[in-house]
Order: sequence, then C-alpha cells, then structure tokens
Amino acid sequence: MLLAVLIANSEGNILVERFNGVPVEERSHWRSFLVKLGAENLIGVKNEELLVACHKSVYITYTVFGDVSVYVVGKDEYDELALAEVIFVITSALKDVCGKPPTERLFLDKYGKICLCLDEIVWKGLLDNTDKDRIKRLVRLKPPTEF
Amino acid sequence: MAQPFVKKDDDREDDAEYSPFMGIEKGAVLQEARVFNDPQLDARRCSQVITKLLYLLNQGETFTKTEATEVFFAVTKLFQSRDTGLRRMVYLMIKEISTSADEVIIVTSSLMKDMNSRTDMPSWTKIPWLQVLPSVSGIHLLQTNPEIVKRWSNEVQEAVQSRAALVQFHALALLHQIRQNDRLAVSKLVTSMTKGSVRSPLAQCLLIRYTSQVIRESGVNTQPGDRPFYDYIEGCLRHKAEMVIFEAARAITEFSNVTARELTPAITVLQLFLSSSKPVLRFAAVRTLNKVAMTHPMAVTNCNIDMESLISDQNRSIATLAITTLLKTGNESSVDRLMKQITNFMSDIADEFKIVVVEAIRSLCLKFPLKYRSLMNFLSNILREEGGFEFKKAIVDAIVILIRDIPDAKESGLLHLCEFIEDCEFTYLSTQILHFLGNEGPKTSDPSKYIRYIYNRVILENATVRASAVSTLAKFGAMVDSLKPRIFILLRRCLFDNDDEVRDRATLYFNTLGGDGPVVETDESVKDFLFGSLDIPLANLETGLKNYIQDPSEEPFDVNSVSKEVKSQPLAEKKVPGRKPTGLGTLPAGPTSAADAYERLLSSIPEFASCGKLFKSSVPVELTEEETEYAVNVVKHIFDQHVVFQYNCTNTIPEQLLENVTVIVDASEAEEFSEVASKSLRSLPYDTPGQIFVAFEKPQGVPTVGKFSNMLRFTVKEVDTSTGEPEGRWSGRRVPT
Repeated sequence: MLLAVLIANSEGNILVERFNGVPVEERSHWRSFLVKLGAENLIGVKNEELLVACHKSVYITYTVFGDVSVYVVGKDEYDELALAEVIFVITSALKDVCGKPPTERLFLDKYGKICLCLDEIVWKGLLDNTDKDRIKRLVRLKPPTEF
Repeated sequence: MAQPFVKKDDDREDDAEYSPFMGIEKGAVLQEARVFNDPQLDARRCSQVITKLLYLLNQGETFTKTEATEVFFAVTKLFQSRDTGLRRMVYLMIKEISTSADEVIIVTSSLMKDMNSRTDMPSWTKIPWLQVLPSVSGIHLLQTNPEIVKRWSNEVQEAVQSRAALVQFHALALLHQIRQNDRLAVSKLVTSMTKGSVRSPLAQCLLIRYTSQVIRESGVNTQPGDRPFYDYIEGCLRHKAEMVIFEAARAITEFSNVTARELTPAITVLQLFLSSSKPVLRFAAVRTLNKVAMTHPMAVTNCNIDMESLISDQNRSIATLAITTLLKTGNESSVDRLMKQITNFMSDIADEFKIVVVEAIRSLCLKFPLKYRSLMNFLSNILREEGGFEFKKAIVDAIVILIRDIPDAKESGLLHLCEFIEDCEFTYLSTQILHFLGNEGPKTSDPSKYIRYIYNRVILENATVRASAVSTLAKFGAMVDSLKPRIFILLRRCLFDNDDEVRDRATLYFNTLGGDGPVVETDESVKDFLFGSLDIPLANLETGLKNYIQDPSEEPFDVNSVSKEVKSQPLAEKKVPGRKPTGLGTLPAGPTSAADAYERLLSSIPEFASCGKLFKSSVPVELTEEETEYAVNVVKHIFDQHVVFQYNCTNTIPEQLLENVTVIVDASEAEEFSEVASKSLRSLPYDTPGQIFVAFEKPQGVPTVGKFSNMLRFTVKEVDTSTGEPEGRWSGRRVPT
C-alpha cells in the first residue's frame, strides 16, 4: 500500500500531502520525519536523483525536483522499486504540468492541476495511472485514449 | 504546519516575491466560496477558490462540520457548469472534504447524470481504463464484502487478459485475492498466467510472487529440476524491466533449501545491479545480498569487490548494508583492509546503523579469532567517540562476548573496558563493566593493574558506581590474597563515604574478609557468602520476607527457611518472531496442563473463585498488531455461568511505565452478558508481562453469542532509562484493541 505522498518546498514546508491508511495521530510524526530526512540528505542532490530509506517494513523514496522535494512512502508490495516507479510518474506529471522542474512559485501557480494529477496517479493507496498523456486527459474529464 | 511561502529566485524570476496563497486565510476563502452560488458561474474564479480550499486542507486547516457541509453543498452546485476542468476539480473537492451520509445521495445522482449525459461515448464496458476502476474498488471491497466481489470472477478473468498493462495488473491482484484461500485455484492461476503473455512489468512482479508462493506450498525440494516453475522465474532474470529481474532474483534467493547452483544466476544479476547508477537498484541489490549472506556467505563472495566500492556510497543505508554484508562474507585476509575502510565511514552514520555494524564485527571476530587485536582496537576506538547509550552498550556487550569466547583477548579487552569507564557517562554501563571486571580481573596474570581504574571510580563517580566499585575491590581482595593488604587500605577509606549503601558494603566486606586481622587466605564459605549467587527464587524470598513482617517473631529471619522450589510456569512462553513473549502464551504441548494451570490461576483470584469449575480456555488471540507499543492478547475462559477474559499485556517501550492499567469492555453488542467483576494491573513496567481480568455473567446452558470491543486504559509515567526510575510525569491514554 502507498502510505503517503508528500511534496515540500526547499524550506521543508509541506505543500501537498496525501495519506492512505495512516491514522491522523501518526501523520504529524510522518511529516516531521520525512522533512527531517530530506533536510539531512537532499542537499546537493541532483534533480530526480532518487534516494531511498527504509524503516522496519516501510520504504521511502524521495527526490528533489526543481524547488520542491517529493517523498513517497509505501509498504508490503510497494517496496523501493515500486516506489521508484511511483515517484517517476509523479515527477513526469509535474514536469508535464509545469513545463520544467518547477520553482516554488510555479508549483503554487499550478497547484490545482497538480492536485488533480496526484488524484489520478494514486487512488486509495494504490498506483492507478502511470501514463502522463492518460493523466492529462483524465484531469480534463476526457477518456484517456482516442477511439 | 506550513505557512504560505515563496522563495525568491533571482535567476529565473524578475518579479517581486509572490505567492498565489500569500496571506491566505480560511474565513476569507469561505467568503469567496459564495461565488459558487452565482447563477452565472465564472469557471476560472470558481477553480481558483477550489484550489485555495485544497491548499488550506493540505496545510492542515480543519473545517468544522458546519463549514464542511456548507462548502460541500456549495461545491455540488458547480456540477451544472459546462466547464469540464471545473467539474473535475469538484470531484476532487468532494473527495477531500468530509461528507455525511445524507449528502452522498446528491453526489451519486449527480455523478450518474454526468455519466449518462455523454451520449457520444462508446459503451462504458469497452473502455479499457474503466476496467481498472472496479478492480481497484474490488480489492478494497473484498475486505468488507467478499461475497459480492467473488461473483465477479469471470469478468475479472477477462480483465486479466486485457492488453492494457495496468488493467492486467489490478485484475491479477484482485483475482489472486479472490482465490487466495484455495491453493489449487492459485496454482491453476499461476500455471495459466506463466504460459500466457503478461505485458505489464507490475503484473509480472505479482506473478513472480504468486509463483513463489506456489513453490513454497508445494513442499521442500532441493533438486533444481524438480522445483516447479523454476524455469519461469529463472527466465524472468532476462526480462527487459529491471523490477521484474530484481523480483525474480529475490524470489530465487528466498527459495527454501536453495542450492548454490540455483542461486548463481540470481547473484549474477544482483551483482550487476550493485554498479547501477540508480540508488534504488543498488539498495535493492545490496539488501537482498545481505540477506543471502546470512545463509550462503560463500555464494556472495564474488560480489565483494563491487560491494567495497559501495562503502563510499552517498546513501548511508546502502553503505551500511554493503559493510555488514562484507563483514559476513569477508575472509581473514581482507579483515584489516575492511577495518580501515569502516573507520572513516562510522562517523557518517547514525547510531542505529552503527549498532548493526558493531554486531557484524562481533560475529566476524568470533569467526576469525586470530584477528581479535585489530577488531578489538576498532571497537575500543569507536567506544571513545560520540554516541548514545544503545550504541555504547552494543560495543560493551560485543567486547564482553569476545573476552569470554576468545581467551587471548581477555587482557586487552579488560584494559579497553577499564579505559572506557574512566570517562563513561552511563551509570548502567559503568556498573556492568565493574561487575564484569570483578569476575574476570582476579583470574588474569596481573590483577593489580586494574585496581587503579576501579578505585578511581570510588573517588570520582556517583553513589551507584561507587557501590559497585567497592564490591569489585572486595572481589579482588577475596580472590587474590596478595592484594588483600592494599584492598583493605582502600576499603577502609570507603567506610567514610557519603552514601550509606557504599559504607554498608565497605563495612560488610572489610569485616567479613578479615580487614582487622592478619592477612589469610579467604575461606570458600566467605567467598560464597559475599559473591555467590542466591539460589533462592526472588519471588519466594519476597513472600518469605512479607510473611515474616506480617508475623514478626523473636527469631531472626532465616534465609534457609525460604523454599528454593521454583514455581513452574503454567505455560512455556511462546516466542513470536520480532516480539517479546506476553506472559502466558500458547502451550507447546499437553493441553491438560494448560487447563490445570489456568484453573489454578483463576481460583487463586478471589474475584473469580466463585465462578466454579473451568470448562474450557481458548488459545490466546492477538488483539494488537505486531510491533505495537502495547501488545495485548486475550484468553477466553468459559465457565458454566461466566466468561472471564484474561488480557495478557506487555509494555514494549523502555521509556514508559504504565500504571493503573485496566481494560474497558464495551458489551453493547453482547446484550445477554453482564459484567460482574474485573481485576486491573497496578503497574506494567517495560517488558514485564501482566494480566488483567474481566468477568461476565452469561445465561446458563444456552448457547450465547456476543461481540466485545476492548479499550486499554492506563496512565503513563516517563522512565529515565539510565537509572530505571520513573520521572513522575503523568499523562492518561486510551488505546483501542
């Protein structure tokens, strides 16, 4: 299951978060943990260079993309390789929406569309759509492929 | 929570600092949401307001029930908009904001209208992507209503043959979940899927896992030719997708009784992954190789050179795994080189990783005892560095084990420990080392060299350590007659210590060892009295002393009157992997002895003595998940007219002491039962299982069914782990089980 998707700015402030199957009281712990993980390890990391961490049976992959950092947390079948796929899909979608690795301003300008893309990519803790063209059509309520 | 914030980027933007959400405030946005009510909808404006609402929700802003309902109803008005982008935002907004049951009907009817109004769309069932939705829904629905989903088997079977990759993936997952309880059905599924073409790499990974499951359940086989589906999995090692290759390699390494021949192709691909540019691949490979090295270290030695280059990997998880793997697979000649590489690495990693490395070094030293010098020096060096209690304890434990198991390492090891206690901030560790010194030091060739280190503790440390040091000095005096005069001089100084425990110990040892008389060899009975182990179980001693206090007599308390008989545990403790035993666990054999034990236990408790003869007791049922902070299982004891629930509780947090621990049982769905008695726990320290009992009366002779919800209620005290004393900070907590 995909437990969480978090996107934060370079200061560690969270811009978008999605939790699945994580009790409310645990979420603040996850937020601070992930932000701390990023603060310690993402300095000097190149765009889209994947980092991975694990704690007990929970895996985390994270990366920097422009001015934002993206964190994906999963367990069970969503191990580090599956999470790598997920994060790739998310960064592709961000690139598609923003046109380039986004600055924070650009990210906030496209905030609504980014939320819609995330909604199409992850559904209730499962990876749903991975193709960026399909996602682009779905966020406009169009069928994902031409007939 | 995050505040709206924009980073000024001089390279890319010329504008002043700007954020679309600068100064955003919930009240203002809710006011703006009134635009949803306009008869002439401004789609752009409405989208902006919804975006702001989404941003607020992501920043942790909470909406009251009234506000949420108002926003919900206002947003649903936007369904009438022709703008598809806006309507898509509406769906997202509805999902995000909480809804009451009354509002769902509005959503479903609007959605139906949206679906049915698209007359130019082809049949919904032919649209591939739509086939994903029911599969995903089915996976969730299976948890609550499996019967409904099981009727979809035929449709799901069709979806598994779909050309769309994600459809196949989700459908395969759902089909497996539907059939997972039928071993034959799963085997047939695997047989058909492995022969067909599976397009999706994700589906391939699932299939490899299901195949491994079938192989596992088909029984133990050591012959590669006999292992079913091995060819399929081995073939997956040549797949174009890396995740499939890795999944196949991992599956092979996890075969039971896997042979070296079966492992070779898997290890080869994992070795290639070690030099991948992608950290996730390197991590996945080294983690798998680390596991293999535990059981088949020789199979992994070919990867040593690649793993040595990973020691300097930027990702510390990868580096730590590489080092611990090398420590398992390294040979004697590579130990020195490995130690040099590890020395630089240790300062970069966190304590929990360091502990893993220390344990690996300990195992390595026991494997190559001739290398104890360099390994012991390494451990001693890192003992001097910054680190937390657990880290230092791990090192001390490692050194102690090496001293015990490698006779040549004793003297140097003891000296290393002595140097450590000169500057040790942890009382627990100092006392542990002093005790160990007292046992091992007198047996060395020159025990006198340790006296300085021990006596320095008497001068410089706190009372606990001083008392321990006094005991250690006395041991040296008792065991080594030549040291007695000097020991007596030191003990005489301790008679004037500030602390009473120190003075008492010094007095006891000084007098018992004959400090005032001539120096003679210490009698064995004296040694036994002072330093021998107490054969009496502590529980019996405590009972004996309590009885003596309650009925005082002229005679002094005689320790020989205490029974040495150990009360047999009613059940052997069952060790669950990754968890501590929780008190009375399941029986390994002999159900009658368990029943007797339970009956004795319950009849000894006054509240339940009147329940009569125990009819039957259930096996313990876990009420909490693995690795929770408070582990609870329940045993149901059935009597003629009563049911007694025995909750076996364990506190797994060393920093907490639980007090006044009770279980609140909600029997609202068990109307024929009525609670008559309960027995709570006064305190539940760390790692000491305790029992709580709740008794219900039930109708006699009539089969009765009920559902009981349980809530564990307790008060928490913080505990100082170095002293073990509670710090007196209180908080009440309730944990549903």
